[in-house]
Amino acid sequence: MIVSISWRNVWRNKLRSFVIIMAITVGLVGGVFTVAVYNGMSEQKLRTAIDTQTAHLQIHARGFQKNKDIRLYIKQPENILSAIQEQQDVEGVATRLIATGMAATSTSNAGVQLNGIIPEQERRVSTIYQFVREGDYFESGKKNQILISSKTAKKLKLKLRSKVIITLQDINGQIVGAAFRVGGIFKTTHSLFDEGNVFVKKQDLERVLGAGSTINEIALRMKSIGQVEKLLQNFESKFDDQELDIQSWREIQPELAYINDATWQINFLILIIILLALAFGILNTMLMAIFERVKEIGVLMAVGMNRFKIFTMIVLETVFLSLTGAFVGLGVSALLVRKTNSSGINLSRFTEGLESWGLGNVIYPQLEAHFYLNIAAMVVVTALLSSIYPALKALKLNPVDAIHG
Amino acid sequence: MSIIKLINIDKTYNPDTIPVHALSDLNLEFKQGEFTAIVGPSGCGKTTLLNIIGGLDQPTSGKVIIDGTDLSTLDRGQLIDFRLQNIGFVFQDYSLLPVLTARENTEFIMQLQKQPKKKIKERVVTLLREVGLEDKLNVYPTKLSGGQQQRVAVARALASKPKFVLADEPTANLDSHSTSDLLDIMLKLNREENITFIFSTHDQRVIDKARRIIMLEDGKIAKPELVKQEVI
Repeated sequence: MIVSISWRNVWRNKLRSFVIIMAITVGLVGGVFTVAVYNGMSEQKLRTAIDTQTAHLQIHARGFQKNKDIRLYIKQPENILSAIQEQQDVEGVATRLIATGMAATSTSNAGVQLNGIIPEQERRVSTIYQFVREGDYFESGKKNQILISSKTAKKLKLKLRSKVIITLQDINGQIVGAAFRVGGIFKTTHSLFDEGNVFVKKQDLERVLGAGSTINEIALRMKSIGQVEKLLQNFESKFDDQELDIQSWREIQPELAYINDATWQINFLILIIILLALAFGILNTMLMAIFERVKEIGVLMAVGMNRFKIFTMIVLETVFLSLTGAFVGLGVSALLVRKTNSSGINLSRFTEGLESWGLGNVIYPQLEAHFYLNIAAMVVVTALLSSIYPALKALKLNPVDAIHG
Repeated sequence: MSIIKLINIDKTYNPDTIPVHALSDLNLEFKQGEFTAIVGPSGCGKTTLLNIIGGLDQPTSGKVIIDGTDLSTLDRGQLIDFRLQNIGFVFQDYSLLPVLTARENTEFIMQLQKQPKKKIKERVVTLLREVGLEDKLNVYPTKLSGGQQQRVAVARALASKPKFVLADEPTANLDSHSTSDLLDIMLKLNREENITFIFSTHDQRVIDKARRIIMLEDGKIAKPELVKQEVI
């Protein structure tokens, strides 16, 4: 009966209940959607970085990441590659030769990182080929083709089939130069990455450097991001005796890992702030409800309803009111997130800012199902906390004073 | 045998500021099955007396003993439980829960007593039939007339099988027809179930039907009590 009374009490003053339910709805929709957008951005940034830059795991000769010295190459890479072949969880592996140099045209020059790749391997590890806007991804089969970003093309005033001179140090430390022809122009969603990286075929770079078959980076893509740490530990112990740096995407881009880890904390903070504001609204509504029913509560005490039951009745009423708002709010939020997740939110007006952050101009808000349950639980906790003061206020009523006003 | 004993009851409001003596040195006893009206002008202490008998208010001094239990020995929680088990209340403005139907309002007290569902169902139907509302079981108070609401209130007060019922001006908001109906119902229940009824009232129609009349004036019994042999 207490449950029934509490539920029906919610609907006694329909306008007041409607107002607070709407407040909860609007608050939750705002909060949940903000969180979903932030999640979408965070996920997109992480995915783009892994897809185009870091892969899931990278293996280098010790010290290479710091110095980018091509003489620090991986010794006996075939042992490592055969160990990788045995791993069921690895989706793709790419061997790379990386060097830094200067790209120059008749009008301008720029410092770049030359990524010597094997395109067939690379397609299973990186999605750079999907970002090619002009030309192709080394599909012509010609020698000394170079894939540059549209940003670099603009800076060096290059077009498709333009010639660019690359100057760099060879394996013996001698300065060497080579002419490459622009075979493709790409544009990812990360302008800083685009600015600093060009791609050439590994065999072309090896020829220029006089390096023979040299590998100074092995990049791995796993079937799932959750398998990275396990494989990392496995390889660290397996290749402990070799001079290698084996790093997951977390170590390669720690700021990315931080953003990923901090996402749930930021989400939690956003929701806490919104629920805190809602708590005062709920508290106010329940106080009004109690003051309106002072006489009725006095009568209930007089006829024998004990303090625990009165307390329970008010707490339940608050929870029902809040959960109704949560139900509506989360329902609307889920629909909104679902809709925008499939259509995306076009923020092309802010392209420049977003790209400097490694984001595309279309954001896809997203939330996992358990998040909605967590919010519902947080609303219940908020309702419980908000109900305590009005319930205690009711318990302090003296039946005689309450009945006779 | 007395079921209610009031011994040297004093009640003073605002004792530390401007004292108002509501009841002074009052000694009263009520026996099982009485149908008693407490009458007197406004402010004479009728409602205060009922509140003290009902354990809703404490006397400044004196003792209230109900069926051997001294109410002053009970804490707040025990008093609530004591009222639930022993006392029925009827209020001037009916005070039904608007979110419950006539049937639910009546069975509410029995549910608080944790009585078996079957027993609750049977008694509620019986009581609402006795007060003439068997066709209004599932009707909400707002859809009932004042007289009908007060009849539900009487059924609610009796549902828990209390030792006595305290009714504070129960007919004050009723027309003469509804008052007559209500009094007939209460008298019938008083006779058939031997339940003690104690009213505070101004209403001559209630006074006429009471078997015992206690007149209060300035917190004291003003005249010798009138005890009738038969109800007219």
